[in-house]
Formats: sequence, structure tokens, C-alpha cells
Amino acid sequence: MSTIRHQLVSPLQLVTLATAGIILLPLGYVTAQALSADPVVWSRLWATRIPELLSNTVSLAASVAVITLILGVSTAWLVTRVEFPGRRLWEGALVLPLAMPTYVLAYVYSYLLGFGGPVEHLWQLVAGPQARIFSPHSYLGATLVMALATFPFVYLLSRSALLSMNVSFEEVARASGVSRLSTLWRVTLPLMRPSIAAGVALVILYVVSDFGAVSLLRYQTLTYAVFQQMTGRSDNTAASILSLLLVGLALIFLITERWFRQRSRFYQTTGRYRAPQRHQYGWLGTAAVIGYLGLIVGAAFALPASLLIQWSLSPEAQATLDSRFFGFVWNSGILAASAATGGVLIGLPLAYLASRRPTILNLGCLQAAYAGYVLPGPVAALAVLVLFTKLAPVFYGSVLILIVAYVIHFLPAGLQSLEPALQHMSPNLEEVARTLGLGMRATWRRVTLPLVRNGFVVAWVLMFLQTMKELPATLLLRPVGFDTLAIRVWMEASEEYYRLAAPSALLIVLLSLPALALLVSKDWRAA
Amino acid sequence: MSFVCSLPTLRRTILSAFFLLFVAGFFVPSAPAADQLTVYSGRGERLIKPVLDAFTTATGIQIELLSSGTTELVNRLKAEGDRTSADLLITNDAGSLELARTAGLLHPLNMREIERAIPGQFRAPDNAWVGLTGRFWIVAYNPTMVQPDQVKSLLDLADPKWKDKIAIPNSSSEYLQAGVSVIRVTHGDEKTRQFLQGLKTNAGSQVYQKSSQIVDAVAKGQVALGIANHYYVYRHLAAQPGAPVAALMPDQHEGGMGAIMNVSGVGIVKSTKHLDSAKLLVEFLVAQAGQKLFADLDKEYPLHQDVKADPALVERKSFRAALVPLYKLAELREPTITLIEQVGLR
Repeated sequence: MSTIRHQLVSPLQLVTLATAGIILLPLGYVTAQALSADPVVWSRLWATRIPELLSNTVSLAASVAVITLILGVSTAWLVTRVEFPGRRLWEGALVLPLAMPTYVLAYVYSYLLGFGGPVEHLWQLVAGPQARIFSPHSYLGATLVMALATFPFVYLLSRSALLSMNVSFEEVARASGVSRLSTLWRVTLPLMRPSIAAGVALVILYVVSDFGAVSLLRYQTLTYAVFQQMTGRSDNTAASILSLLLVGLALIFLITERWFRQRSRFYQTTGRYRAPQRHQYGWLGTAAVIGYLGLIVGAAFALPASLLIQWSLSPEAQATLDSRFFGFVWNSGILAASAATGGVLIGLPLAYLASRRPTILNLGCLQAAYAGYVLPGPVAALAVLVLFTKLAPVFYGSVLILIVAYVIHFLPAGLQSLEPALQHMSPNLEEVARTLGLGMRATWRRVTLPLVRNGFVVAWVLMFLQTMKELPATLLLRPVGFDTLAIRVWMEASEEYYRLAAPSALLIVLLSLPALALLVSKDWRAA
Repeated sequence: MSFVCSLPTLRRTILSAFFLLFVAGFFVPSAPAADQLTVYSGRGERLIKPVLDAFTTATGIQIELLSSGTTELVNRLKAEGDRTSADLLITNDAGSLELARTAGLLHPLNMREIERAIPGQFRAPDNAWVGLTGRFWIVAYNPTMVQPDQVKSLLDLADPKWKDKIAIPNSSSEYLQAGVSVIRVTHGDEKTRQFLQGLKTNAGSQVYQKSSQIVDAVAKGQVALGIANHYYVYRHLAAQPGAPVAALMPDQHEGGMGAIMNVSGVGIVKSTKHLDSAKLLVEFLVAQAGQKLFADLDKEYPLHQDVKADPALVERKSFRAALVPLYKLAELREPTITLIEQVGLR
């Protein structure tokens, strides 16, 4: 018995170790390259680029955090604590912006708010023909786009918190004569704090590692600068140095997020004894609530989506729907499917061992796999590039390195679904199967796999979706003939051919919707 | 029992063998078919694809095109070494081609067609790269906002009076780097630094990734002036006749530097396995038919002596070009980038 177990576990262990190694190696290489760089390069970067890039990155993250905090919490509170017509519909609609990749939102807004664009024309009707609005290619523009794209993270987490919160705390406060507003401020919000903080940390991580929006809005952040250094210089030293800073920055936010998530677990153990009462406003209040939600969903999803549809129907756009276009669709599909499959195959042993045999080694390997979180697209690309040119140059320029970059980058998203799926399953079930005479393999096939299948599917879909939208790593690593939909959107949009970019963008949004539904239904069950 | 078990096992083994084969075929870069060429192109896809399509129509040779940044593609060629699937490299900058040549990435050519068509100063001594089209840095201006006599030299754009009125290209663009190199050679580093400093202040956030965006910003009146390659102005005018944008050829005054010139060009990758087809493509691009496509579609100055530029363009003989040999752009690149970074251009 123990020999069988031994035989079966140790290859798994080896796979796990190898995976963790593959994931950490690139990061190690980049770090080594950055640290061994000529001090002259460091000091030149400190004197020229780093202060500006750091302050740009941090200030963008801060402003987006504040706005998403307001938008996310207020919308979550409205859909959980106020009754109004179509409430369930709005509850779902507020998640829709997650189907819009940031670069799509960015290009729609650079048209809308651009010089001589429709918004400016409207404003000139009000404020006179010389009036100008702020340029979308600025700090403000980047803030707006990133906030609209990411507030659903805060919304989802705040909503879960509000739904699972024990309402008796609020009732006690109200019974003791505390006003409604004061209750909100002194009881409800403090109870939600861990969830809100986790949501905001997620937003910050997202903003810091975004490439699509900042590149189209020409707002210089660290992630964008890494890409520019990689494409504009003949050596990667400066890119590695900036990457190291970026990884450090992302790590700080990741740790913050983890820390808050740990604390939020404590709060969520308090059960909810009955559903909170939903307040009903008069018709004016109801109209205001719907107007507010409509404005947000409109700006973040409905308006951009309808523009994409309108542009896609234009004759110029229709003319691009040839066999070449379907080649891009095929490329996107095959790359995303390979990366998702690879991610699940790699993530499974990691998650399985960490939940079944939580030794320090296994847990360490699992944590290593989360490194992808702090590797923004260009950095993951740089890391994989450096690794492959050093170790296995034969694969340079092949699809493999692109897929490795995807897997490293998106494994955390997959693991977040795989891990709980395995944790929720009691090991007793496997043990029972074993006692009843099933072999290790049969137990796996007939007990473990069917039980974790849903977690698998969700993990696969999430990684598929993220890969399909991925931009910087694809731009840097794609082999000849592997242009994807995301690449086409970016290439056309960066020359402001808005209409030509629309069909690809629309298709990405449409394909994202079912995956989003899956993600949200999971979240709703959890809530 | 063991027999029953072994059947599925066997099947699984066979299946996984097939899977591995499939995976191997998928992942290892495969050599394209004989009548197919792989082109790495650092030029805008819109500018080069029509010409390559014309070649395919004429010869039946299919072309796989990878469009990306020029420097990035040179980096990629270096890293891929002999295993690259690329047969040709097309770039928007002579300096990058010369760098690729000195790195031993390009194949020297001995072809009469090239020597007859393209003057010597527009190609490498061993013809490892060959210039295809000429482009000049011009000042794009909006005639409703600026009079053409207000700007004589590129250096005038650093004047504080143009604060927030100019648009400039992004510092990682090879054409900006090449232009700054020429200015350094002509005016020296200190004057160039002051110029760049002024440019940075005046442009503010109007720093663009693409020349087409710069011309667009000028035509819309978002800025009054912009630095761009000449053909983007004429392409804009061809698409939108009467748009308020025009090109001004700078530094033509007595003792001036002359207009900054660069060429787009092509080189055959050393490790190509399709040398004959690749030569056919080069021949097509330098011949009158190919050159005429560049002149008509892209509004560039053809380098072939017998092919006329688009009549809308400023007559080539009517202005002077700066006197910096193109191959020099390669060695000037690194110090130029350092200077650009010191100034902190975006």
C-alpha cells in the first residue's frame, strides 16, 4: 500500500516542484539581470525615468482606488439595501464592464472624449464654440477608463459582504436610536471593510499591471515603460530594472490584498440570520437610484458596446471580415485553449498536493504559482524571453514560449478556482473509496475528478478568457502568423482606425460574456 | 485482469504518443513551404502589405508577414539566430538595417538589378541591405494657425512661443532616434540637448506613437505644428482633400542643416532557406513597378532614379537633405538614445 502511494505521489511531487521551478525561474532571471546591471544604468534610470514612472503609476492607482471604492460600495449598497424596479437586472448589469478589456474601453473613450469628438461637441453647445474638455490622453482620462473597467471588483466583493453580513448588528444600532446614516457609517461600513479593502487591492493590482489602456491613452506607467524599453532598446537591462520595481510594487499590493482577505474570513463566519430589509424610496428617490446606476452601467458598458456594434456594422469594418479575420479568431481560440488546458494541467497537481499533503514544500510550490499575479504581461514576456534564450533557444519564436508566458501569467486566476474546489471536497470520500477496494487511479477517476470537475471548468474558462484578452505578452512573443483578435484591436486602435478595430473588439466582448456569467454565478452561490 | 487493464493502457499510450507528436509539431517552429516567404516588417502594415500582396499576385509566392517594431524585430532576429523562420527584414530606418548587418544577420547581395536601380548612398557597401524609399522629417503645420514663414528650422520648434502647440513622436520610435542623431552630428550634443529640452516642454503630453496621429492632431487643430515623416501629410491629404494641414521642409536656409532624411529598406536574412524567392522579392521591390507602388500608395520618394514621386509632393530636386551618411545612423544610435533618456523624452 505505502509503496503504491509512494510511487504515485512522488512523480506528482516532482511535477509540482518542476512547475514551481518553471514559474519562479523566469522571475529569478529577470531579478538577476536587473541586479547585475551596470550601476550606471541604474543611476541613469533613477535620474531620468523612475521618479516620473513611479509617481504616475502610484497616483493612477490611488485615484482609481478612490473612485472604484465610491462606485463599487455605493452600487453594492443600492442593489442589496434598496428595492426598486428591475433590481435583479441591475444587480447583474453592474458586472458587465468586466467583459470589456481595458484597451477596448480606452479606445472607445479616446474617440468619445478626443479632440473634436462627440462629447466635446456637446459641451461646446453648452459652453460656447471655443470650449475644450479634458484630453482622454492624460491622467484624468486614464483614471476614468481604469475606474470604469475595474469598479465591478469592488462591487462584487462589497455585495457579497453586504449579503452575508449579520443584519442584527445594524438592527441593534437602529434600535439604540442611531440614525440610518450613522448606522451605515459606524456599523455597516466598518463591517464591510475587509471585503472593500480586498476589492480595492485587487483593483490596484489590476491598474498597476495594465498595459492596454495606458498604452492607448499614452499615459506613462511602469508597465508601459517596460514594454517601451523592450521594443525600443537593443538590450533588456533597463527593462529588467523597471520590471523589478514593478514586481516589488505589485508584491506590496498583493500582500495587502492577502492580508485583508485573511481578515475577511473571520468576519464572514458570522451567519446571516435573515435577509436585510430593503428600503423603498418614493418615486423621485427610485428614479435617482435608477439614473445613477444607469449612468454607471451606460458609461462602462452600454455606450461602448453600442458604439462597437455601430462601428462593426459600418462598410469599412464589414470589409475586414474576410478569411484573414477568421484566421485571427482561430489564433485567439487555439492559443487561449492551449493556455487554459496547460494551466489546468499544471495547476491541478499543485492545488491537489497543497490541499491533501500540506507540507511546507507543497504549500511553498503553490505560493510560487501565485507569482504570476505580480508579473504584469510585459514582465512575464520579458521573463520568459530571457529564460528561453538562455536555456532552450530552440523554442524561441515558437508558440510554446507564448503559451508558457500565458500559463505563468494566468495560473493564479485558475488556481483560485481549483484550490477551493479541492479544499471543499472531504478527503474522507477518497478514503472511503479506497477502503471499498478502489485503486488509487480508479479513486481519482471515479471520485476525485467528478467532484472537482466544476472547479476545473471554471478555472479553464477563466484562463481561456484572460488569455484571449491578453495583449502585451502576445505582442512581444507571438510567432509569425499568430496575430490574435486582441492584437488587431490594439494595432488598429493605436492608429485611431476606430471602425476597423470594432469587429475584433466586439467579438472579444461577446465571447467574454458567457465566461463572465459563469464567474458571477459562482460568486452568487458563494454569497 | 492484467490483460483487461493493459488494453486501455495501450490505447492511452498510443493516444499520448499521437498527442506528443502533435504538440511537437505545433511547438517547434516549422520551415514554411518552398513557395512561401516570411517577412519581418517594422513598417506600418498598412504601408507595406499592399506592395507585398502585389508581389504575391505577380509571382504566386505567398508571404507570411510579422509586423512589429523595428528594433524589436532586430532583437528577435538576434535571439533566434539560425533558427529564425524569417527570410527578409523590412524596416523603417536605415540605422536599424546597418545594425542588423554589423551583427551579421543579413546576407550580402551581388545583384545587378539593385546596383542599377538604387544609388550607392542608399544601400550597404555589400548590399546586405538596400534602401527602398526615402522619407524626410518635415514640419506638419496647420495653415489656419501658423504661417509657413514662422518656422525656418526644426530647432525653432523648441522656442517657448510654441508651448503646448506642437506634437512630437515617442522617443522609442526609430525615426525620432535617427533624426536626433543627425541633429547631433550637425549641431553637437549640447545644442541638441537644449533643443530636446525645449521640445519636451513644448509638447507636454502631445507625444504620439504614430506619425499618422501627429498629422491628424495638426489637421484637427489640436496642435499647430508637428514633427512627422513627410508622407503622412500627403496620405492624410489624399484621404481627406482640403484638410488644413501642410508640410514645410525645414532647415533649407543659407547654411542650414538640410532636411533630415532616412530610408526604409530591406535585407535578406542570412540563414534564409529561400534565397531565390527572397531575391525575387528584393528585385520586385527595387524595380520600377514596386517603386511606383511605394510612390503612389505611400507617397514616399522612390529611390529608383527613373521613378517619379507623387506630383503632390515637393519636388525632390528643390530641397537639400542633411549630409549625414545613412550607415552612420547605426553607430550614432546608442549615444543618441542616452541623450534622449537624459533629457527624459517620453
